Amino acid sequence: MVNEGGQLYTIEGVAAALLLLVTAYFVVNSTSVYTPGDTHLSDMQMEVIGSDALAMMDTADNITMTKSPLRQIVEQDDAERFNTLFPNTINARTEDTQDDIQYVANVTYVNPIDSTITSTHLANSTRPFTGTEHAVRVSRWVLIESPPFPEFSAGNTKGMHAVLVEVLLWRD
Amino acid sequence: MARLKNDDAQWIVLMGFIVSFSLFFLAILINQSTVVGQTTAEAVSEFPKNDIRGVRGVLIESTFLVDDPTHLFDNRTTVQNEIRTLALSRQNAIIGISSTTVGEFTYTEIHYNNGVTAYNETYTFP
Repeated sequence: MVNEGGQLYTIEGVAAALLLLVTAYFVVNSTSVYTPGDTHLSDMQMEVIGSDALAMMDTADNITMTKSPLRQIVEQDDAERFNTLFPNTINARTEDTQDDIQYVANVTYVNPIDSTITSTHLANSTRPFTGTEHAVRVSRWVLIESPPFPEFSAGNTKGMHAVLVEVLLWRD
Repeated sequence: MARLKNDDAQWIVLMGFIVSFSLFFLAILINQSTVVGQTTAEAVSEFPKNDIRGVRGVLIESTFLVDDPTHLFDNRTTVQNEIRTLALSRQNAIIGISSTTVGEFTYTEIHYNNGVTAYNETYTFP
């Protein structure tokens, strides 16, 4: 070598280039990870909204009423009332505009004749559930008397029964 | 190794290294923090908080029912069996419940297990 001045500058140059490359790699990598984390957060939020709405509907209006609105809805298979109460709660916002969360609700019960599990449709929003939506599931246990389901028409099924109200919620 | 003939810019070089390394560690921190946020959100989504709350609430409600032997579908046993069957099929959870009465107190043991999360409680009434 004729002249070996500036060796340290060369080493610094190579090291800085490597560090910049690795840093850029880390930064690009981290931003691509961020999206799935975000989706989970909004799922959690919608789950909280839905289960809170069901909890509110499962609370009786006052102390003289023994049946909560949700229990009355299930006992009478009252889709119309569900379609009034539930959207009002989940779509409420502090400003004037309403949110637009779609839902479909099912009631699951144990068939008293052969102890199988049966799900029946309770209510749904205007847009049908096609199966491709990114939906979250919320559920609420309800104890009901005199279930409206056909298997319970026999006289020996008196008394309380546990049913599970399940609601799928999604935004589109 | 050949002796360096010119060492005037040592401080500049040192500062260059310090700045590079701090940038490097900051990038690692940013990278790790987003991963932590994602796993936290996933853990919260998978933790069956509302399922446990629901099962606990309806089981406690069911302990206030009475068994009526004059009906085939007597209340408390039927309801608790239905809860057990529905939870197993719809929430993938095994439910256990048993009550013992000692004196004026009733101790109700509630067990919930979905394979990942287990919840056990002894509910005392009154």
